[in-house]
Parts: sequence; C-alpha cells; structure tokens
Amino acid sequence: MRVLLRHTARALVAVWLTLSALFLLSRSVTDQAAFIQSTLTSNTRLDAQTNQAALTRQLLHRYGLDVPLFYVSWQTPTGWRWHGCRNQYHYWLGQLLAGDLGLSYRQGTPVRELLREALHYTLPLTLLATVGSVALALGLAVSLSYRPRFRRLMLLALHGVQSFPLFLVAVGLLLLLANPDALAWFPAFGLGLEQESGGWWQSTADLLYHLALPVLSLVIVSLPGLVVQLDGAIRQELALAYVATARSKGASRRRTLWRHVLRNALLPTLAQLTDLLPNLVAGSVVVEVLFALPGMGRLLAEAAATQDYPVLLGAVGLVAVVRLAAQWLTDVAYQLTDPRIRL
Amino acid sequence: MRQLCFPRSFSLRQLLAAGWLLLVVGAATWAPSAALAPDLAHISQPPGGTEHWLGTDPQGLDVWGALLQGARTLVLVSVPASLLTLLLGTILGSAAGFLRNSGWQVSWRSLSTLLLTALAALVLGPRLVPASAWLPGVAAGSWILLGRLRLGRRRVAVPLDALVLGLMSLLESVPLLILVLAAAAVQRPSLGGLVVLLSLTCWTTPARLMRAATLQVSAQPYLEAARAAGIPTGRLLVRHIWPNTRHVLLVRFPLTIALLIGLETTLSFLGVGLPPEVSSWGQLLAAVRFAPTAWWLVLWPGIMLVSTILSLHIMAQNQANDVTPTAGILSKINETIID
Repeated sequence: MRVLLRHTARALVAVWLTLSALFLLSRSVTDQAAFIQSTLTSNTRLDAQTNQAALTRQLLHRYGLDVPLFYVSWQTPTGWRWHGCRNQYHYWLGQLLAGDLGLSYRQGTPVRELLREALHYTLPLTLLATVGSVALALGLAVSLSYRPRFRRLMLLALHGVQSFPLFLVAVGLLLLLANPDALAWFPAFGLGLEQESGGWWQSTADLLYHLALPVLSLVIVSLPGLVVQLDGAIRQELALAYVATARSKGASRRRTLWRHVLRNALLPTLAQLTDLLPNLVAGSVVVEVLFALPGMGRLLAEAAATQDYPVLLGAVGLVAVVRLAAQWLTDVAYQLTDPRIRL
Repeated sequence: MRQLCFPRSFSLRQLLAAGWLLLVVGAATWAPSAALAPDLAHISQPPGGTEHWLGTDPQGLDVWGALLQGARTLVLVSVPASLLTLLLGTILGSAAGFLRNSGWQVSWRSLSTLLLTALAALVLGPRLVPASAWLPGVAAGSWILLGRLRLGRRRVAVPLDALVLGLMSLLESVPLLILVLAAAAVQRPSLGGLVVLLSLTCWTTPARLMRAATLQVSAQPYLEAARAAGIPTGRLLVRHIWPNTRHVLLVRFPLTIALLIGLETTLSFLGVGLPPEVSSWGQLLAAVRFAPTAWWLVLWPGIMLVSTILSLHIMAQNQANDVTPTAGILSKINETIID
C-alpha cells in the first residue's frame, strides 16, 4: 500500500512538472498578435468589424492571455516584477485542478469535450489492441516452448518484424488489404458510424470491422517484444527442477506450462506490460492519422501540427494519467501472479 | 592456438548489412543539394518511365531524388543526435552509478557560494547589464567570508543518483513519441532543433544501461582493491571502469541510430518536426494518404527504411556477440518497440 501511494505521488509530481514545462514553453513561444490576427481573419464577420482593438481585448480575455504569464517576469528597465496570483499559470493550474482544461485555440470548444469525444473512439482501439497482443503473445510464447523448430523460425520472423516502424506496417496493411486495386477486404478510413440504421449489435460489428486494420497493425508491432521477452523467461524456467517434479507427478505438459511455468515467467514481463498501454496510445497517434479515425491520437497530432496548445496539453496529461493507471494495474498484477511479493 | 590468430570472419548477413549502411551513407553524400523541382507534367506516375524511373508523387516530385535527399536528412539527423544522446546518457548514467548518493561531497563553503551567486544572478535578471560586473565580486566575497567562519568546512553529499533517476522518471512519465511530438510542436521546425530535441529526450535508456553497468563493475573486488590502493577517482574511472562498461555503448550505438531513424521518419510522416521543404522518407510515405493506390510511394522508401533499421540491428547483434558471447542481446533490442 505504501509503495502504491509513493508511486502515485511520484507520478503525479512528474505529470505536474511535465505539464507545467509544456505550458510555460508553449505560452512563451505563442505570438499573441499573430494568434489573434489569425483568429480574426479566419472569421469574416469579425474581420469586417471596425473596432478591432476591442475585439482583440475580448479575445485575449476569452483565452486568458491578457494577464502576465508567470508569478514573476523580467522587464528590461526595471528588472524582476512580482505579479501576484493574477497570472496565466496560476489560473491554468487552478482550472486544471478543477478539471477544466480550457478552450481549444482552433475550434473554440472546451478541450474536455474534444477529449471525451476522441476517447470514445480511442478506447476500443487501444483496449482491443492491448487484449489482442497480450493474449496472442501468451499463446504464441507457450506454444513455441514445445516446438523447437517452429520456435527458431518464428523468432527469426519476429526479429524481422521488429525493424518495421509502426507507420510502415499500417501503410503496408492499408495498401494490401484496403486497396481497390488489390484486396478490398477492409475499409480504408473512417468509422462508418454515419448510418444509424442497425441495432446495437449491428453498430458494434460495424465498429469492429472498421477497427480491424488499425488494431491489427498495433498488435503486429507490439507482439515481437512481448513474445521474445516471454519466451526467454519461459526457457529459463523450464530448466528448473520444479518443472521436472510437476511432470513426474503426472501433470500434463499443457498444465505444467500454463499453471506452473507461466506464473513464474510472467514476473519479469510485467514491467514491460506497464509500458504497453501508454505505448499503444502513442501508437494510436500514427494509426489514427493514417486511417482517419477521429480519436485521441489524431487530435494530438493535429494539435501539434497546428500549435493548438490547450488541446496538446490536455492530451499529454491524459496519456500521463493512462500511464499512471497502467502502473497501478501492474502493481496489482504483481500481487496476483506472485503472492510472495507484498507491497 | 592457431585459431585465435585468424582474422574475425564475417557472416554473409553482416557483410550485407555493412554494405547497405555504406550505400546509405554514400547516397547521403552524393544526393543533389538543390531543392527538387516538381515536374507538374508527370504527377503520380508509376515507375518505369524514361525520366522518373522510380515514379513521381502527387506533387510531381521525383521519387528517386527524394529518396536520395531523404537519406541525407536521415544521416544528418540520426547520427549527430545519437552521438549526443549517448554522450549525455554516458555522463549522467556513469556519474549516477559511480558516485551514487554520497560519492560527490561538496563543502558548505562552495555550495553556499554557488547558491548565493546564482541568487544574485537571478535577481539581476537574464540579460547582461552593467551591474552584472558585481557577480564575481559577490562570489569572491562570499567565498572569503564563509572561509572565515568555521562552519564552511563541513561537507554535504549531493544525491546525484536520486537526481538523475528523478529526471529519468520525469522524462519517462509520457511515452517517447508523444513527448517528442509535443515538444516539436512548441519549437520552430528545423534540422538542428530536431537533433537537440531528440537527444534531450532519448538519453534515458543509455543512461539507465550505463548506470547498471557501472554499478555492476563498482561492486567487483578488483575495484575495491584499486580504491584501497589509493588510485585517484579520475584514473579509476578512465582506466578501471570505462574499459568494462564501454561495450554497452558499442552495442547501444547502432540501436540508438535505429530508434532515432524510426522517430524521425514517424515525425515527418505526421508532418511535425522538420520543415516541409526538407525531404524525408517519412514525408514520402505520407504522400500515400492522398494517393491510396500509389504502391511505389510505399515500396521504395519502405524497403530502404526496413533494410537500414535491420542492418543496424544486425550490426548491434554482431557487436554484442563480440563483447559478450552469451549476453541476451535480444532483450536489449526489444526495449523500444512501438516507436
């Protein structure tokens, strides 16, 4: 329990520092005049207004840019100046603690709404990919352990797969399986949620059909690392005496592997599982951009490309929270797999 | 005994890998440096034409020329960035592993002089003003004053290990790709900026490995003997620890380059980090989003990318087999899977 609390506290401090650094950096490089100008010119009605000065003031106030950036600031003639609590950082931190992530620069809508909509698509994608890759890795590693010839071939293939970056795998799948010139088995983009005709079952099947290629590419890329690690651990465990004992007492090979060996072999792999979920979220950036899924990753990539800092900060914060959650899960999983470990 | 004198034999795949890497470096050297001119008469042309033998992309750029220039960008970004990454990782990792939390002790006198001077510099502000000339005066004054007082002699330990580990966990609280993406959005896109950004974010893995190796070596009896013999710290590091930890770097170097190549191409695939006029293999691949049936935009850069990364992995495996024939290099390759 103490360890859990300490992990949480450390992770929260890390998240706060990361977000603060990003916030201060992004706000200090934002060119306010250019930002306001682009907002004004993008809206023709606003652009036609004559009283531009008042509009600028209102916009600055709306996005909270009309007060100093930090508690102190440096001015050339006078030196350091103390601004008290009326500054952007203080307001931002207060809002963040209250769960308000601010307004998107580009779309003007609350960031929280954008994130929630995006999560609606990203959550099935990453969870399916996690479950798929873990299940497949477990099955593959166990089945490799009693087929030596197959094992060498498979490991060689997995090492080859490791040199493929994720975006290349996704592009390749797209070209092979969603190409009208080759095999058009799967849709190339989108989620196909437009037609609301079918029932609950129909829409789920439709979602799965559209998510198949993205999930497949994520699974393919995350599989080699997991399988190689797990396979090494199983090989080490198989040489130990308790395996021979279990076999000589009449446990079948299957039972020995699944019930005895795997529990021990999982321990070193769990640390890697902590990073799996956040890594899949990172991977979803690439996959969602390519397959045009309106999820978190695409939100993040677009925010990065268009300098929409509130969205960027919100998304990065959310990913950090996901990592924290994954760490909790791992700590609990350590308990479940090995009762000897007491937290 | 004759066997030991034989030159090291290379297997076929090592030769192929080395040859491919040489080819990439050669392409980077001889790539045309002028910006590519689009040929608007032949856009989205499949390979096999007389002028553009590898085809053109939807903007009419020659794929062959873009590939060559992409190779140059790749080398210019990944090699300096991985050198910087390894340098940073080595310094921080071995310092943390060797000095731990109590190895580096500073006297109160120097510590408070440093703090006072830093405080004075902070009050004076980030720019040089005439009053900045007082800074050395402040430093010297506090040094002498603290020397007069007795308590300046006591020493405090700097918890270097905890500091470095904290910095690592701070950088690792967010996946690498997302951290780099967010940081690349803040800075203006440029080649040099990308190199600095990548090396500032990727140093944690080499630092972790170096720290582990240094810890392992520091616990050996021969090092204790060397310490007892009174060998000074600097020589201890250079003559006794470094020769036994540098194999980590030799293995890590190709792997870091491979990781950075993956990151660089992913970033340019997403359109972040590099200015749009700089050719990159990732950018070439990104064009397939607008021309989904143009297989030649995927095949050529894809083959080149995969062969390069695969060659680097083979080189790393080769290094690992040289230094420690039984070490599990496979697990070292697997550290960064998604990027």
